[in-house]
Amino acid sequence: MKLAFELNGAPVETEAEPDALLVDVIRGLGLTGTKEGCGVGVCGLCTVLVDDLPVSSCLYLAACARGSQVWTAEGLAREEPELVQAFVEHEGMQCGICTPGQVMAAAALVRGCPGASEAEIRDHQAGNLCRCTGYQTIVESVRACLASR
Amino acid sequence: MSRLDAWAKASGEARYVADMVLPGMLHVALVRSAVQHGRVRRVDSEQARAVEGVVGVFTADDVNRNTYGRSVRDIPILAGEKVRFVGERVAVVVAESRRAAEAAAALVEVEYDDLPAVTSAEEAIAQGAPLVHDAPWEYAGAAISQEDGHNLQSRVTEGSLTEVEAALGGAEHVVDRTYSTSSGHQGYLEPQACVASVEDGRVRLWVTNKSPYRLRTQLADCLGLDPASIEIEPVLLGGDFGGKGSPMDAPLCVELSRLVGRPVKLVLRYVEDLTATNPRHPARIHVRVGCDREGRLTGMALRALLNGGAYGGFKPLADVNLHGIEDCAMAYRVPALFVESTIAYTNTVPRGHMRSPGAPQAIFAVESALDELAAEAGLDPVDLRRRNLPRTGEPSSHGTTWLEARGLETLEAAVKHARTEQPEVPPGWRHGEGVAVYVRGLPGPPVTSVRLVPAPEGRVRVEVPIPETGTGSHTMVRNRLAAELGIDPEQVEVVQVSTEELPIDPGVGGSRVTVGMSEALGRAAEAWRRGGGDEPVAVELRPGDSAASAPVVCYCAQVAQVAVDPVTGQVKVLEVLSSVDVGDIINPAAHQMQIDGGAVMGYGFACLEDLFEEDGQFWAANLGEFKIPSTNDLPRLRTVLVEGGQGVTSANVKPVGELANVPTAAAIANAVAAATGCRIRDLPITSEKVFWAIEEESAR
Repeated sequence: MKLAFELNGAPVETEAEPDALLVDVIRGLGLTGTKEGCGVGVCGLCTVLVDDLPVSSCLYLAACARGSQVWTAEGLAREEPELVQAFVEHEGMQCGICTPGQVMAAAALVRGCPGASEAEIRDHQAGNLCRCTGYQTIVESVRACLASR
Repeated sequence: MSRLDAWAKASGEARYVADMVLPGMLHVALVRSAVQHGRVRRVDSEQARAVEGVVGVFTADDVNRNTYGRSVRDIPILAGEKVRFVGERVAVVVAESRRAAEAAAALVEVEYDDLPAVTSAEEAIAQGAPLVHDAPWEYAGAAISQEDGHNLQSRVTEGSLTEVEAALGGAEHVVDRTYSTSSGHQGYLEPQACVASVEDGRVRLWVTNKSPYRLRTQLADCLGLDPASIEIEPVLLGGDFGGKGSPMDAPLCVELSRLVGRPVKLVLRYVEDLTATNPRHPARIHVRVGCDREGRLTGMALRALLNGGAYGGFKPLADVNLHGIEDCAMAYRVPALFVESTIAYTNTVPRGHMRSPGAPQAIFAVESALDELAAEAGLDPVDLRRRNLPRTGEPSSHGTTWLEARGLETLEAAVKHARTEQPEVPPGWRHGEGVAVYVRGLPGPPVTSVRLVPAPEGRVRVEVPIPETGTGSHTMVRNRLAAELGIDPEQVEVVQVSTEELPIDPGVGGSRVTVGMSEALGRAAEAWRRGGGDEPVAVELRPGDSAASAPVVCYCAQVAQVAVDPVTGQVKVLEVLSSVDVGDIINPAAHQMQIDGGAVMGYGFACLEDLFEEDGQFWAANLGEFKIPSTNDLPRLRTVLVEGGQGVTSANVKPVGELANVPTAAAIANAVAAATGCRIRDLPITSEKVFWAIEEESAR
């Protein structure tokens, strides 16, 4: 089937199977910043924004994104570099495989709850696992994302 | 100055193996065994071959029949006549797309004749148990002989049990306890992946492997290739924690690329990572330990029995054992010590290394037993430890006299800081504090190589043999070389090069990277300065070349604060304070994340992580069921650095990567016991276990 949506602010039109997952469509377009981890919607590596809401693109049917605005880390780095920069400055990463997803989750918080408390940050970011850092620097990075607005 | 790969990682620019695309590349999906132990009667691939886009379906008949491994070579590329665990590779589909490959793999029909299986280490070593391998001593690199008993991967003993028994006979107090730990997983978040290209006899690989030079040898040994024909390309790894040191699917992918004449790519689904790669050994550990009237330890016997799964080839040491078990009593003065570590073959997923292999299990047992001994002797648990930590100049229980023994300072710092600021306990909950201590030695003498190359605009390019696994090793290299040369870190470019470019390196692991790189960079910088920086400088450290293996150890003491709801048994870990014995720190942010990430991993091991193994299968086969800590689970983390330690190399460093994950489980178990009077000897410490322990205690 034909699938048209906006990806990082630019219209895209692509062929996709009706049951194709959004993560595969995005990665198939060469945007490999969206990673796949658990494949069952719990680790958060594949987090992207669909109309400003964070979704696990490994569970999200690409067809559901028809006509929507989809944002990935690559687009965010261009349009809202201060959010990416917050993770750079606070070293909110080690191996980096979860980082694009962490950044996208933070971007969703910036949009949906810009005054989030420490507890709300932790609660919001709980769907984005990290095995390396112990999370302290990630929470600091998210706090800095909120402060950048 | 932040880590050098930070922007690339946070912006999605960074490429990992799963992001690789080669022209003409095909995709691979595996058909895995559905039975624990069986003879493969028939593989029917007719329907699979009919799927559009399928290029080939292959079985053991099509690939090299040699076995491979990191030390013992007992792993087949594809199972031949026999499968030995649920999840073992039986057949494989190569197709134009991953979708087609997976669809076809689901259509491959395999018929088995079931064989009797053994799924626990206890069953496996019992008399008359079914054999996982008929003659495991015949594999190249086997660590056992026929006389050792059946279904053994390895048995290591140290010390004399007779002496320990004699010492315990005269002890004032003795405890005799058994502890157990569950099946866990490294939990790296990047699934294992491999891209292989074989063209005109030349093999190129991009693979989630942290030991490229060893991988080259392992592949050459298995496939009968000239190592010079194999090139392992630089990659970025999405986490390791010990899980990415083996060849895993690389030998298979090389064979497939050869068979189909095109590059192939395999990316595991995470369920395959959890159930069919090389997770942590579950352990049952028996400890007998005694002390005199003053609380001085007189003897300890520790016997560990571990489930090694169907193959031993995922363990890299020549003894096919885990040094964390062997070193279990190193923190203390123990006049009579006996340690036995037995690893059994079973019909379960093969087990491998996970961050400080064996130590989390062994230290959970030893440090829990010490608290139980303290209770028996009526001593404060911290006091018992104080009385038994060796002082500088005294030999350790393993016979070595260290340059410094800073266990006591490390413990005192932990306790002092933990008690200055007590966490808040919810009303009605019981509070408990628990302490545990771990010590780790240095890795052996550094073996590695680096090259410095002049780059434009007065920059220096440093070529390293190690992949960045996430620890910040490349940033450490940048900072260290800049310091050695007295230049701005911005002037240093760090590049991992392929195995063609440098001669030797054992890979990332064993807490050796910072030590090895510091030594190599120190020498390289010296030569660079001598040569004026105009010519490339290569440094190669072969075994025996370096003195950077002084008897230096690093202590880590942790204090856990818990609150336990006596009604439900729920445990909240309020705080983990880590006190760490350090030398000089090259990159404070990365150093701190090794401690924080370690403590959180230790907490996960203590309270959450369990693959729920039953009859040789894991019920928690995804990251929703196998729970690793999230931001919602975190205890408060505090760190005390016990500075001024004597490290090694001109950088005066000590390892840190495999410290803070080790004592946490015992510290938490000890805190739970202090809060409730109930001792949980089986990890993880779940609400259910605490609830029933409290019930049992109150029924007494």
